[in-house]
Amino acid sequence: MSNLSEVKIQQNVGIAQTQSSNLQVTQTKSVNLKDTTQSHSEAKQEEGNVISDILQEHLLDHHSYNFFNVFHIDLPIILYDKQLYLYPSVKSMMAEGTFTEIHHQIVRKDTQQPPKLDMSVTALVMFQWLSILLLLFVFITSAKKYKKQPKAAPKGLQNMLEVMVLYIRDEIVRPNISSKRLADVLSPYFVALFFFILVMNLFGLIPGGHSATGNLAVTAGLAIIAYFVINGSAVLHVGFSHWLKEFTGGAPWWIWIIMIPIEILSMFTKPFALTIRLFANMTAGHVIIFSLLGLIFMLHTFAIVPISIGFSLFIYVLELLVAFIQAYVFTILTAVFVGLTTAEHSLEH
Amino acid sequence: MDPKALAFLAAGLGAGMSVIGAGVGIGKLAASALEAAGRQPEASGKLQTMMIIAAALIEGVALFAEVISLLLAIK
Repeated sequence: MSNLSEVKIQQNVGIAQTQSSNLQVTQTKSVNLKDTTQSHSEAKQEEGNVISDILQEHLLDHHSYNFFNVFHIDLPIILYDKQLYLYPSVKSMMAEGTFTEIHHQIVRKDTQQPPKLDMSVTALVMFQWLSILLLLFVFITSAKKYKKQPKAAPKGLQNMLEVMVLYIRDEIVRPNISSKRLADVLSPYFVALFFFILVMNLFGLIPGGHSATGNLAVTAGLAIIAYFVINGSAVLHVGFSHWLKEFTGGAPWWIWIIMIPIEILSMFTKPFALTIRLFANMTAGHVIIFSLLGLIFMLHTFAIVPISIGFSLFIYVLELLVAFIQAYVFTILTAVFVGLTTAEHSLEH
Repeated sequence: MDPKALAFLAAGLGAGMSVIGAGVGIGKLAASALEAAGRQPEASGKLQTMMIIAAALIEGVALFAEVISLLLAIK
């Protein structure tokens, strides 16, 4: 492609500059055409790389946000390496000279080592904040309505929120957590968890948006909070000694050699599975849509366009469903795990 | 054979085979859940919740395999 355009440019320049030397123009043209046929397979390879680059650009985190080249936001870089470094953008960081960016990674110029602590506001952090702001706005406005008219029937957005919040409390939290007091204490956490994951998932489906849950760090953060909620509520509710006793599972002492390591391992695999499940589900959808659209550029034909568009539309609608299901699954699994660790086993043995 | 080619082959085969396992698992789960809901339609709400939990656990195992395959393919 680039060779062909080069030919055209050279042609135009040739005609404009020396109108008489048509011979020269045709010569360059033929030479360039030969180059094009030779490098055709190379060009195809390059296009594959371009598609996978675009895919990686979309899936990875960045220090700036670019909306279809319409507007560009530079996000601040906050680094800690023996002292605090603050930069408004990557450009100013490069200009200052202490740090440099190699392959999307910030490293020190002198030692080639990454900084000790990178607390930059990246694009995904921005999207998390956006979803927090959206949720705050939506929930505060509907809470105000409840305060103003406590007896009135809910309307519009408030009505939808009430249905979802009640569903989470009555169908997710209360049936799984046997203690009613604990269920009521933890309900706000589960409501916040569900809506936060849902809104982050849905942001990835808006053109120009990124889903923050398609990043391992974000889902790991959510799962670490879930880990502390699961074990913290167990320790606070049933007591530390009972929580320790759960590791033996009420089995005879000679099985403890197997039981205790398995129980300790399962304590960590639960949040790990939560992390991977949410991350893989969100990433897989984006990768499939990109691969389907990439087919058009790989196969060089318009015949594939309806198939690509049709299938990617189908996957997009499926993604809409998956966004809800994964938020629901993360919430209900956390609730089930809390229920398992806080259950009173007095009836069992 | 080139070891890189073998790694790609392993990644593809691993991804496909783990999907077979997950497909069989979720298929059996859905079949028995539907059967149970047919026998006892009033319990379908509870069955749905339990089905989604079990499906998520099966899917989780399959996703572990997929992530390992992905690591093989992009390494």
